[in-house]
Amino acid sequence: MLKELLNKSSMKSPWIYHINSGSCNGCDIELVAVLTPRYDAERFGFKLTGTPRHADIVVVSGPITSQSKERLVRTLAQVPEPKCVVSLGSCPKSGNVFKGSYSVEAPLDNYVHVDVSVAGCTPKPEAIMEGLYKAAQILQEKREAMNK
Amino acid sequence: MFNILWSLFYVLIFPGALFTVAVGLLLAGIDRKVVARMQHRIGPPIRQPLYDFLKLIGKETIIPKAANKLAFLGAPFVGFVSLALIMLFIPIFGFTAFSTSADMIVILYLITIPGVALIVGGSSSGSPYAGIGISREMVTMMAYELPFVLVLLTVAKKAGGVSLAFSMDAIANWQAANGSMLFQWAMIPAAIAMLLVIPAEVGTQPFDVAEAETEICEGPLVEYSGAPLGLFKLNSAMKMFVMSALFVSLFLGGIRTGFILIDAIIFVVLCIIVTVLCMSTIHAISARLKIEHLFKFYWTFVAGLAMASLILVWCGL
Repeated sequence: MLKELLNKSSMKSPWIYHINSGSCNGCDIELVAVLTPRYDAERFGFKLTGTPRHADIVVVSGPITSQSKERLVRTLAQVPEPKCVVSLGSCPKSGNVFKGSYSVEAPLDNYVHVDVSVAGCTPKPEAIMEGLYKAAQILQEKREAMNK
Repeated sequence: MFNILWSLFYVLIFPGALFTVAVGLLLAGIDRKVVARMQHRIGPPIRQPLYDFLKLIGKETIIPKAANKLAFLGAPFVGFVSLALIMLFIPIFGFTAFSTSADMIVILYLITIPGVALIVGGSSSGSPYAGIGISREMVTMMAYELPFVLVLLTVAKKAGGVSLAFSMDAIANWQAANGSMLFQWAMIPAAIAMLLVIPAEVGTQPFDVAEAETEICEGPLVEYSGAPLGLFKLNSAMKMFVMSALFVSLFLGGIRTGFILIDAIIFVVLCIIVTVLCMSTIHAISARLKIEHLFKFYWTFVAGLAMASLILVWCGL
């Protein structure tokens, strides 16, 4: 029963850590909008944390500039298991309008396994909410896999 | 033998560890819900802190290479034990698990230990963010400790007369005879000061400079993950209950039905009211202070209120 509770609670309290890897700030604002009274992600237990050590879901926005690539990989490695990686917006997915630039090393899945991709430039808060909720479900599956 | 069993029951179940944890999590949940409703949000369910705690138990615990392992993992346990012990000395109206002639002093010392545990844990993690966090935590402790001691002195003087009453039981008895402390007009400034000390002691929104997650990455907790972090979160929830319980037994005592269960329920309801009044409301309407503003606020305004009350009581009012 305790195991079941642990599994359930991992879905009920996903804490988010947000990494900006050279984003234009558009997606970042939309992510904050998800936490505001209008959309209120906290009713599902989502909470923005200040450090990767506390995080369950890592949200990456931006086209991954050469400067931020190494920091991004190091920060992702600091997140304790089970964790989920969500790419926010079109930039980390494909490079968006910056594709082909000498200073952009775009697809995020070259460096880390991406669980959920929320595409769009910028994605709507509703889409972000759905993506985060899916990530929370994947989190529970990962937690269940850890028990076996 | 029977005595030892009773003591174990007191320490582990009521009013010790289990009761404190349960009510602490309830208060933390209500706090988050009320703040959300005040900000026109729906807010998390009231059992959300329990989910948070269970999730953190199930997560991986990472110990940084630079950390001192014993202090890093031991600190949250020390805080937890001291918080569970404080509840043994706080009377739930008529009932006190352990009462001595000077348990107020014991409470005063025990209540600083969770803060010290946070400082020890943070400093042993070897992170510069934790360094900034613990220096802020120390300043915060210095800031609220002065008005807190003044408030306790005032209550002791009021209840004890010429000889100060440092026994929580004596204060409870005095209130049973003369009515709650809050209804003595000389005690009202002290009560307001105590209400302002509580959020700083617990570390909620305007006074959470030590754990400012947006500027110094949660300060002393920056390197914590998994179960130790869960214990620290549990500690702050328990602190919410312990501090509001202290307020209730110092200022709102004197209600005695004779049945311990009914007493406990009234006690918890009063604690919820105190929490909503002094933590949730202030949290919802204010932004985080700077550390120097916090220090100035406590040593001038709050200490002034407590001092005014102390002088009034000393003059025999």
